[in-house]
Amino acid sequence: MSGDNRHGRIDGNGASPKPPPVEVVLGSNPFVDALAGEVDPLDAWLIALDRLAAGGEAVVPARPVAAASRTTAATPVPQPSPIAEPYAPEPEPAVPQGTFARLIGEEANQKLAALLGRIDGWDRFGLSRAGLAQAFPFFYAMYKLYFRVQSHDHEKIPAEGPIVLAANHGGLLPFDGAMAVLDVLLHTDPPRLPRAIVERWAGTLPFVNVFFARVGQVVGTHENFARLLGDGEAVLVFPEGVEGIRKPITQRYRLQRFHVGFVEHALRARAPIVPMAILGSDDQAPILFDVKPLARLLGLPAAPITPTFPWFGPLGLLPYPVRYRIVYGEPLRFHERFDPEAAHDPGLVRALANQVRRAIQALIDKNRA
Amino acid sequence: MNSVLVTHADLPLGLRIVKVLWHDPTVSRILALGEGAIPRAFNPYRAGVTPRLVYERIDLARQRSVSELFRSKRMRVLGVDSVVYVPRHGAAPEGPPVVAKIPARTAEARLVLHHALETRSIRSLVALGSAFVYKLEPGNANQLTERSELDLDPEIAPELRSWIDSDMLFHAEFASARLRVLLLRVPAVVASGGFIYLHPGLEGAAGMRVRPAGFDPLCSVISDKDVARAVRAALQADTKGVFNVAAREVVPLSVLGRWTRRPCIPVPGPLLAIASGAVARFGGEQLRGRFEGPYLRYGMSLDTRRAAEAFGFTPRYRVGVARAGDGVMRVEAVAI
Repeated sequence: MSGDNRHGRIDGNGASPKPPPVEVVLGSNPFVDALAGEVDPLDAWLIALDRLAAGGEAVVPARPVAAASRTTAATPVPQPSPIAEPYAPEPEPAVPQGTFARLIGEEANQKLAALLGRIDGWDRFGLSRAGLAQAFPFFYAMYKLYFRVQSHDHEKIPAEGPIVLAANHGGLLPFDGAMAVLDVLLHTDPPRLPRAIVERWAGTLPFVNVFFARVGQVVGTHENFARLLGDGEAVLVFPEGVEGIRKPITQRYRLQRFHVGFVEHALRARAPIVPMAILGSDDQAPILFDVKPLARLLGLPAAPITPTFPWFGPLGLLPYPVRYRIVYGEPLRFHERFDPEAAHDPGLVRALANQVRRAIQALIDKNRA
Repeated sequence: MNSVLVTHADLPLGLRIVKVLWHDPTVSRILALGEGAIPRAFNPYRAGVTPRLVYERIDLARQRSVSELFRSKRMRVLGVDSVVYVPRHGAAPEGPPVVAKIPARTAEARLVLHHALETRSIRSLVALGSAFVYKLEPGNANQLTERSELDLDPEIAPELRSWIDSDMLFHAEFASARLRVLLLRVPAVVASGGFIYLHPGLEGAAGMRVRPAGFDPLCSVISDKDVARAVRAALQADTKGVFNVAAREVVPLSVLGRWTRRPCIPVPGPLLAIASGAVARFGGEQLRGRFEGPYLRYGMSLDTRRAAEAFGFTPRYRVGVARAGDGVMRVEAVAI
C-alpha cells in the first residue's frame, strides 16, 4: 500500500490535513475487513425492519460515531468498525439472521450463501451483497408462507449462459417479479439470480429505485439489457410492460401486446428464451376500473380501483394471499435458427415475440385448466 | 515525447501526474504550471544544474499571462511538444469568473487549447475532463460509453456547465491535423487518506453535504494514481479522441461520502431548495448546498474498453476503505 499522500496537503480549508498513516491489522485483508463493517443506509433500514418484525425495537440508522481507538501491527487486536458500530456490531453475515431467517431451510441458506459468495461490494448495476442478504428472508417468507408458491418444470432453466426469462405480468404491485426471481434462485444449481428488468419510471421513484437496485433489478434500457446478457446473466422480462399490471379483471390471464426488444437482444446475445407462466398474480389485486385521466394527471402508470383500494387507503394495495404457481416452458432457441443480424428485421422480431407470447399463453391456459 | 507542460501542477492531480512523468525515461523535461508557490514535493525533482522539472507560477484564466508564457523564450528552450491540461480542482474547484461571467475552468481550457493550437512545436494535448458531462437516465445503472449523449440541458447545474463547455471545446479540435487532442473523461478521483476530486457534489473542503432523500446513486471512481498512469499512456499513444477511464469499482454516493469525510445528509425533495438556501446562508465552509444535478439521483458506471484498446489502459488500483491509524475507515487505493 502506498504511503505517499503528499497531494493531501492541498485538501481542506487551506489547512494541512495530513492524513494519518494507514495501518493494516496483521494477517487480514484490509478491504475485506473494511467492507465487512460497511453497511449501506438501505441495508440498515432493512435490518431495522427485520428487528421490528422480530418483536424487538427497530434501530433507526444513526450517523457513525468515530472512535479514537488505534490498532497497530504490534497489537493486532481487530477493533469493530466505528462506522458500522451503531447497527452492525458483528461482521456482515454470510447468511441472513433474524426472525424471517429462521424460516429459511438449510438448502435455501446454502443457496443464498453460495450466491452471496460471488458478490463483492456493489456491482455496476447497484446489486449489493448486504442488501440481498437482508431482503432475502422477508421475500422468502412471502414465497413460502404468504403466496405458497408452487414451482413446476424448473429443470428446463439452463444452468449457465445468458438466458431471457419471459413471463406474464399482473397484480398492480410487482410481487410476481419478486416471486419469479426467488423461484429461479431456489431451483437452479448453482443458484442463479435473475436480473429483472423494470420500468424506467421506477428509476425516478425515491427509495424504490435504491431498493430495486440493491436487490438486483435493473432499469430497462437497451444498453443494460445487452450488458446483462453479455455478462452471461439470466434476465427476467415482462414483455407486456405496464399494460400487464394495469389490465382490468375482465382481461386477467389474457396477455397484452408484447414489447419486442427482448427478442432482439436474445438474438444478438445468442440466448435462449424461457417462457414462464405465473399463475396467481392476476388474482392478488383485481382491478375493477383504471381511472386513466387521473393517472395521467398524477403522472402514474395507473389509477386503479380494486375491491380494497382506495377504500382502505394504502393498505388496500397489499396483495391478497393467493396461491402462486410458476410454470416454465421449453426454452425457445431462436438463435439456433437465426443469425444475430436477424435482430434488425422488425417483421421477424415481431413474429418471434408473438411466438413467445403464444407459448406463455398456452402455459397459462393449460395450467389454469 | 520530449518535453511536457502540465497545468495546475500545484494541485493534487497535477502533482501526481508530474511525479509519474518525472519517472518516465521518455520524458526529458517537464514544465509545471501552477497558481501557488512551488510545492515542496517538487524539491527532490529540481536538483542539479539543469533540472528536468521547471516550475512557473501563472494564472491560466488570464489571456495575457498565458499568451506570454506560450510565446516566451523559456517555452522555446524547453522545446515543449506535449501539453497535459489538468483542470482546476481541489479545495477551490471553481475560481471566480474572469471575463463575461465565463467560469474560470472554461476560460482556462479555452486559452490552453487555443495556444496549444497556435504553438508549432506542440504536437499533442491530453486533457482531463469529467465523466459527469453525460446525460443520465433514471435509475442506478447508466452504462456510459464515449458515444453516450452529453447533458446539454440549459437548466443544468452551474458546477456541471463548465465541465460540459470545456469538453465541447476540446471535442471541436479532434479533427485538427496538426495537434493530437485526447480527452480523458474521469469520474470521481479518490486518493489515499480520504480525498476526493472532480466530483461536482463532493469536491471541496471536507464536511457535510445535502442530497435528495430516497436516492443513492452509484458513483464510478478512479484512483489518482490510475489517472496519472492513464495520462502517461495517452501521451505515448498514437491516437486521438475521447476516452473514458475509470476503476472497476462503483460505490453508492452515501458510502463514498462517508469514506471521504463528506457525509451526505438526505433531505426530502420538497425541502431541498429551503435546505440549500439555509446551507448557502448559514452553512459556511463545512456544509455546502450543492444538491442540483441528476448525478445526485441517478448512478453511472463507465465503459473503459475504448481506452484499453487504444492505449492499453487498465486500472491497476482497487478503490476501497481501510482503517487508518486513528481507527477511522478512509478511502484507500491498493494495487491489484
